[in-house]
Amino acid sequence: MRQGCFNASISAVACSVLIVDDHPGFRAQARALLVAAGYEVVGEAADAESGVRMVRDLSPDVVLLDVQLPDSTGFEVVRLIAGEIDPPAVILISSRDASDYGRRIGRSGARGFICKADLSAGTLAAVLERAG
Amino acid sequence: MTRRRWGLVALGVAVAGWIIGGEWVSIRQYVPENHLIDALGGLSFLVAGLVALDRRPYNRMGLVMIAYAVVSYFGNWGNLQAAVVPMIGLIGQQLGGPILAQMVLSYPTGRLRTRFERFTIGTIWAFAVGVGVVILLAFDPRADGCTRCAWEPAAFPSRNAVLTALLAGQRAGFFLFLLFLAAVWLRWRRATPAERRDLASLWVAVCIYVLVGLMGAFASPDTTGDPFAYLVWELQSVLQIGVPIVFVWGLLSTRLARSAVGDLVMELGRPLLPGELRACLAGALGDPLLEVLYPREWLDGWVDGGGQPGSLPEAASGPRARTVTVVERDGRPLAALIHDPALDPGLVRAAAAAAGMAIANERLQAEVRAQLEEVRASRQRIVEAGDAERRRVERNLHDGAQQRMATLALELAMLRDRVAGDPEMAASLDQAAAELKQAIAELRELARGIHPAILTEEGLPAAVEALADRSSLPVRVRADFDERLTGPIEAVAYFVVAESLANVTKHARAPGARVGLSRCDGTLRVEVTDDGIGGADASRGSGLRGLQDRVAAVRGSFHVKNLPGGGTGVIAEIPCDA
Repeated sequence: MRQGCFNASISAVACSVLIVDDHPGFRAQARALLVAAGYEVVGEAADAESGVRMVRDLSPDVVLLDVQLPDSTGFEVVRLIAGEIDPPAVILISSRDASDYGRRIGRSGARGFICKADLSAGTLAAVLERAG
Repeated sequence: MTRRRWGLVALGVAVAGWIIGGEWVSIRQYVPENHLIDALGGLSFLVAGLVALDRRPYNRMGLVMIAYAVVSYFGNWGNLQAAVVPMIGLIGQQLGGPILAQMVLSYPTGRLRTRFERFTIGTIWAFAVGVGVVILLAFDPRADGCTRCAWEPAAFPSRNAVLTALLAGQRAGFFLFLLFLAAVWLRWRRATPAERRDLASLWVAVCIYVLVGLMGAFASPDTTGDPFAYLVWELQSVLQIGVPIVFVWGLLSTRLARSAVGDLVMELGRPLLPGELRACLAGALGDPLLEVLYPREWLDGWVDGGGQPGSLPEAASGPRARTVTVVERDGRPLAALIHDPALDPGLVRAAAAAAGMAIANERLQAEVRAQLEEVRASRQRIVEAGDAERRRVERNLHDGAQQRMATLALELAMLRDRVAGDPEMAASLDQAAAELKQAIAELRELARGIHPAILTEEGLPAAVEALADRSSLPVRVRADFDERLTGPIEAVAYFVVAESLANVTKHARAPGARVGLSRCDGTLRVEVTDDGIGGADASRGSGLRGLQDRVAAVRGSFHVKNLPGGGTGVIAEIPCDA
């Protein structure tokens, strides 16, 4: 696990992020927001299959992963990623509330959950820090 | 007397004349045998055949018995020393065995049913006809002692060929008899219970023939020879008289069943419960597996007395074989009786006629029940379609408006960061972001109310837990299962809990509530209780009435009761076999 990134995130030292979400508008906004905060967005994926592939190819520190993907669910992607050597920290994101997924988020193995509307450098850093 | 009966009398007189004539020929030719017993043998088949034809006009057994009576006298007539008569007599003699075998094996309907039965009878006939053809081609009556036979009928006269054919036929007879016994045994094995009752007569007949066959080794028609052998021969003849009697008794024993039709009429005089008509008909016809189906009004298909869809059976053989008798009124089908093929068709028709009014009544009731069932099913489909539509709307909100609003929130946050140096603009953007956050929360709540995603994702217990977590009251949830149920059942149960908890919050003035979810014997029990002021009434509140309708749509029951110590209990019990 890339502990350095989480410690460094507060001081905004380059921490690589992969965004997996099927809404291009949201991806663009999230990328701009994270880049402005000093994160390095290494890639974007619009579905589960390319998301898993890019995790293998790009080895990001953090994956922002939408729960509802066109070809699978974020929970399933977390399970696949967890099998990788040195897996990244996965933060699940959704326009729904965490309570809409019950205990499934806790059981999924993800580092945390952020409502899309609440995404910011601060919330991301807080979740990473809390989990780390 | 009807024309038909006159016809039977004429037939009887003709065949009796043939038998007595044949016997007379035997007497005149000094054939050594007891002519009285011999004649009685033929006449017993004739009388039995006539009685069977009279009582069971559609049954071929009567004709087969009369045919046997006719054929078995060819031999006697063959003693007449004139023209081709001895030859015809000898050929006719060969046909007795096949007819007798067919009679036994086709009992009681007169029809052969299985391929093996047809093969057996076909083989027996083939041998008899083969011997007959040899006789036709080679029999020379003059060489056989007919000194007065002036005409030479055979194309290739050969006494040896005839004797060889007769001997071969006799030897093959033993194996053919074994084949015949095998067919009888198979017949018994495949017989339905009702058939087995009727086949008792067949077994008596077969036993007689086996006995007669065994006695044949000792019997001799020669009155001047061994008296024991002659006695055995006479006994053989007497025993054979018993066969048609046994058969006709078996055929007519269904007459006893006809009196049950009378009882049926008496029984149907009182009002019947659903399904009772079937039981009455089954009892009267002695077929406990009998089924009654009714055709749908204006629709294809059949339903039983309870209105449940049924289908007419495919043609089959063996113990599970069923026959369909369609009862008609004014040329239109009124009902179909599915019964044991061994039942006498006349008896089935008689019972159906006796029960005509009751059948017509039950058909109407079945139609109403079937329509009610369809209304229930369509109500269930409507509720299910409604749930599917709610899921779709929630999904669309999530994929559309909620996504756009989330993106908008990020955009506002970015703008807010950029205008940090402009306090007025920053304040406006903060205000807009707060409004947007409120709108997002309201939309999320709306989407959840339409159809909670957690119910789709996690199932009923998790969704109810989440509901309890969001409730403004303390709610204790107890669920004794974790597995998933079908979507419509989960949705109905969820909305029962959601609406009940909303009622508790709004009206009950209760300090808290309890939700119980349990499964037992294929029933899901949902119970929401509170310690509030009570007084809830399902017949008044539109919310509770709506719940009642939803629960009823999935064939469940719904009760609201005021608890003894105060408070209200809402209980829904929903069948859930999945």
